[in-house]
Amino acid sequence: MDKAFKNIKDAEAMLLTVGTLLMSSGASTGRVRTTVNRIADALGFNIELLITNRSLMLKVIDEETNHFIASLKRTSPHGVNFRVVSGISKMSWKVVEENWNIPQINTEIARLVALPHYPRLIILSSVALAGSSFCALFGGKGAELAVAFIATFFGLFIRQESLKKRFNPYVSIFFASFAASLLSVLSVKLGIGNSPDLAIATSVLFLVPGVPLINSFTDMIDGNILNGIVRGIHGLIIALAIALGLLCAKFLFNI
Amino acid sequence: MDFIALFEKGFWAGFAALGFAILFNVPQRTLIIIWIMGALGGFTKYFLIALDVNIVPASLVGASLIGILSVYAAHNKQAPPLVFSTPAVIPMVPGAFAYRMMLGCMELAGTSSNSETYLKTLAETTNNGLKAFFILIALSAGVAIPMLVTRKDTFKRIKSSEEQE
Repeated sequence: MDKAFKNIKDAEAMLLTVGTLLMSSGASTGRVRTTVNRIADALGFNIELLITNRSLMLKVIDEETNHFIASLKRTSPHGVNFRVVSGISKMSWKVVEENWNIPQINTEIARLVALPHYPRLIILSSVALAGSSFCALFGGKGAELAVAFIATFFGLFIRQESLKKRFNPYVSIFFASFAASLLSVLSVKLGIGNSPDLAIATSVLFLVPGVPLINSFTDMIDGNILNGIVRGIHGLIIALAIALGLLCAKFLFNI
Repeated sequence: MDFIALFEKGFWAGFAALGFAILFNVPQRTLIIIWIMGALGGFTKYFLIALDVNIVPASLVGASLIGILSVYAAHNKQAPPLVFSTPAVIPMVPGAFAYRMMLGCMELAGTSSNSETYLKTLAETTNNGLKAFFILIALSAGVAIPMLVTRKDTFKRIKSSEEQE
């Protein structure tokens, strides 16, 4: 295999990894396109890119011979991870300003992917705190805040566990919503707090599809209408799964 | 005007934003900024509501403030604007309206259209649903438009090409 061809092949694999990582970590389509283009420009390659929600197609063109390679990579559904988005964005500027080569970029990508998440207990308790903050924002007091905290904590735990057991992501959200609202409905039955509806409505808010919906809008006004629609429908299905879990819990206790 | 209650709302909005920031695994250096932005956005929204502004434009102003601040924060802390703005607007999501709309829909589906309360439920459900929908649009627009207008990326590219010449 001659050297130029190997070089272009390495670039292709690296750029596809960058693109799919950004896409699965919650970047908008426009950002994926700019970042991949920026790195390719800095390395001196001409590229064409097709971005869809679940896969990425990239064509790298050799400017001298006009030969090209095109290949396809699936986007793995990993969930939102802004540490990766921010790290890759920072890296892309270093590639431009410090003239990085492909092996350097690959090492940096490996480092970014291996970066740790926050400890599980911190994630659970801070999201639970966010749940009780929601309750306070909507006018809850004392006991209701505690109910929202516990229900959110338990719901997020169930969601993490069912994702680990490789349930369908929407089904995991249904389980989480059902678990969280079951706890808050139970507290209503036991007569804790004065405005029962508040605790029920806020205990499932940690599941709201914020990133898909905001990215959907960003994509649409940026001209990536198809991706925007796909993200919007994804957010809608999540909302329906939340609603279904809530209704099941309410139905079970006949509230 | 009850400023203590407003500050309290801002305080809680900040913590709601912080919880989502940790869920989305943002870099540690951005956490404090996200708390401040969430609190400012929440304070602005509830301040406008206290001035008798409708909740939809109030959410739009709050989200736009967050969107504009996120562009500056992105410049200083070297992270894309969406890392700051997405967790910070989440405290404003119309959870209560969406919840009431959903309950209303179930009630409408479950009762006969001749019943006395049907029209009242229909009116309330439409109102809650439209509010939830337009608040969501206002939040996304408020966050997305400052990012698209400022286009930090392009600025940086123009600057570096000028330096080379």
